[in-house]
Amino acid sequence: MTLNLYSPQQEENIYIRKRAKAWRRSGLITEEQLSAINGHADPQLRQTNLFFRILFFVFTLLGTGAVVGLFVWLLDFKDTSFIAAMLILFGAAFYMAADYLAGKYLLYRHGVEEALVIVAMVLFCAGCSILLSENHLTLTHIRIVVPALLAITACWIYLRFGLLYAAAISIVALSFIPFQFNLSPAAERIMLFSVLCVIFVFSLLADKPDLEDFRKNRYAKIKACLLAAMYLTVNLEILGFSGLLMRDTHVVHLNAQLFPPSIYWSSYVLTFLIPAASIYWGIKSRKRLIINVGLVMACVTLATNKSYLGWTRYAWDPAILGMILVGLSLLITRWLNSGADQRRFGFTAREILKPEEGGITPADMAAALTPGVIETQQPPAHPEEKYFGGGASGGGGAEGKY
Amino acid sequence: MNVAKLLRKLRYEKKLGSSQVELLLDLQERRIFSVHRELRFFLYIGILMIITGAGLTVKKYFINLGDAAIISALTLCFAAAFIYCFVQGRPYEKAEVASPNIAFDYILFFGCAFYSMDVAYIETQYHLLGDLWENYLLVSVALFFFLAYRFDNRLVLSLALSTLAAWFGFTLSAHRFYFENYYRLYAIAYALIVLCCGILLYRSAVKKHFLDIYLNFAAHFLCIALVSGVAEYKILSLYFPALLLACAALAFYSVKVRKFLYMLYAVIYGYIGISIVIVDQIHRQTFLLFTYFIVTSMLVIGLIFKLSRMFKED
Repeated sequence: MTLNLYSPQQEENIYIRKRAKAWRRSGLITEEQLSAINGHADPQLRQTNLFFRILFFVFTLLGTGAVVGLFVWLLDFKDTSFIAAMLILFGAAFYMAADYLAGKYLLYRHGVEEALVIVAMVLFCAGCSILLSENHLTLTHIRIVVPALLAITACWIYLRFGLLYAAAISIVALSFIPFQFNLSPAAERIMLFSVLCVIFVFSLLADKPDLEDFRKNRYAKIKACLLAAMYLTVNLEILGFSGLLMRDTHVVHLNAQLFPPSIYWSSYVLTFLIPAASIYWGIKSRKRLIINVGLVMACVTLATNKSYLGWTRYAWDPAILGMILVGLSLLITRWLNSGADQRRFGFTAREILKPEEGGITPADMAAALTPGVIETQQPPAHPEEKYFGGGASGGGGAEGKY
Repeated sequence: MNVAKLLRKLRYEKKLGSSQVELLLDLQERRIFSVHRELRFFLYIGILMIITGAGLTVKKYFINLGDAAIISALTLCFAAAFIYCFVQGRPYEKAEVASPNIAFDYILFFGCAFYSMDVAYIETQYHLLGDLWENYLLVSVALFFFLAYRFDNRLVLSLALSTLAAWFGFTLSAHRFYFENYYRLYAIAYALIVLCCGILLYRSAVKKHFLDIYLNFAAHFLCIALVSGVAEYKILSLYFPALLLACAALAFYSVKVRKFLYMLYAVIYGYIGISIVIVDQIHRQTFLLFTYFIVTSMLVIGLIFKLSRMFKED
């Protein structure tokens, strides 16, 4: 029995069409061949492009928010229990509307049903939390029950609609629970890490070799999220950065040095082990997302290494890390390119599948922000004002009073 | 049926060639695994970190290092990068030119960033141009435009356009975010200049693939400036019809070229502008306010639904 609204073959057909589109974009197949593939893989579902999906999502959120707001305003409730009941009822109504639209009009990742189901989840959890507080439950209990409820409803949405971000919401909500038991910070981290490990093991067990391609792809994404969550749990120095930024070094979670030494050094070892294991596993099983997550985690480990060891940080540290990244990337490229047919063990540095053109890329946006960053990094004029007076300089050459 | 089975079926039906199917199966079953995007990503992040690290070092240690050391080091870095690009770069062509190697684009970007840092440092410390300091920016803009077109580099074009924006007065410093009237007019002027440049170069068939970058810069600057004008003057100004016109043009262009990112911009900016005016008209009437948002969101959903059916985008 499957809870999912869409059949595995429908989702597999969508996956096949996506692959075929990427092959066409990269010139590996012709337009006629794309049509032939599409003809064999008709999902019989209504889809839309990313931008329309965003618009549908945003305006459905706006509309549903206004409906709830109007209703609450018109009835002018004073009784909080009644408001809670109304929120739960609205949640149920929106959920049913999403389910109906997806089932009747065959909407798939269309934005409308996604927004309805997300609003339903939020309203349901908000209503339940108000009801719980009305029924004299302690704040601690509410703080445990509400994230648990959110995790369960998000998990249900993932199982029913297949929305990956619902699975991510579920994991994040679950991650809040260990912090509500008044345990020691170390015990909280251990508990959270254990919970994430258990989910990770379940996701490994669910991933069987005979699964459909779309399901393998989906599980890889979930596993990558879980690995990232596990890494964020064990790396005590990441929150230390925010502690430094907020100048708050008294909260244990914001100051890694306050953890017991055994936990501190175990976490240090794990910050190396998790990325290394991810990269190794990703390369072995050729799972792109796992490799990418592993590489990003490895970079974060290098960035937090000095903090762990208590070494002095210097202004040029980012540049050293940057040089390591550039050097490694160039070395790997050279090594791959020097293999037979520019390949080694199946890995190649050549671009085979072209990415989708989206107008402007994040790389372009980062480049556009560079002059601003350079401007903010300019030192003040020499203290002795030995040349001329005042002024500041910036982006792409200069700055000043406009 | 999965991808592999379908490919084999199409080979059997002679709709796909044998070698083609072999390649696609190799890709699908990951016997060939391209790490091109990952390598590019880490190269870019690495270059950005080098730029950040160099900037922080100059900011923190400029007294200890001394002007001569800083200026000569920065000059050496950008000169080396530019020389490398001119030696290794492919000849100029009006059409898109592929980079000679994976690092080429980033080396040019690195050179441009270090050039900016160098010039900014010299100006901060020596104030050579005094009140005419902005002219440095124009020189930088000209240089970046030249390099972007010479070496077909999107990153450097983005750098050029944002440096041009800095010349118009838009920088990341906090006090620059105030949208006073004259800034609004500068933003509109900037957007129109960028738009005209982009269209002219596109029409001249010079690096036609750069048009999207121009359009993105122009669309955001223009629409933000017009929305801010509508927020200040509501319906009683030219900003409102100008915003409607700009959004209509964006929507029309989006449908014409089937790039729906511009439809997203048109709908979002247009809706914000119209909502500001309508909400102002129905001030303090809560019922009308909620009704407005319910009705208009349904209208927009209906409109986009019609559009999406028209183009059957998947």
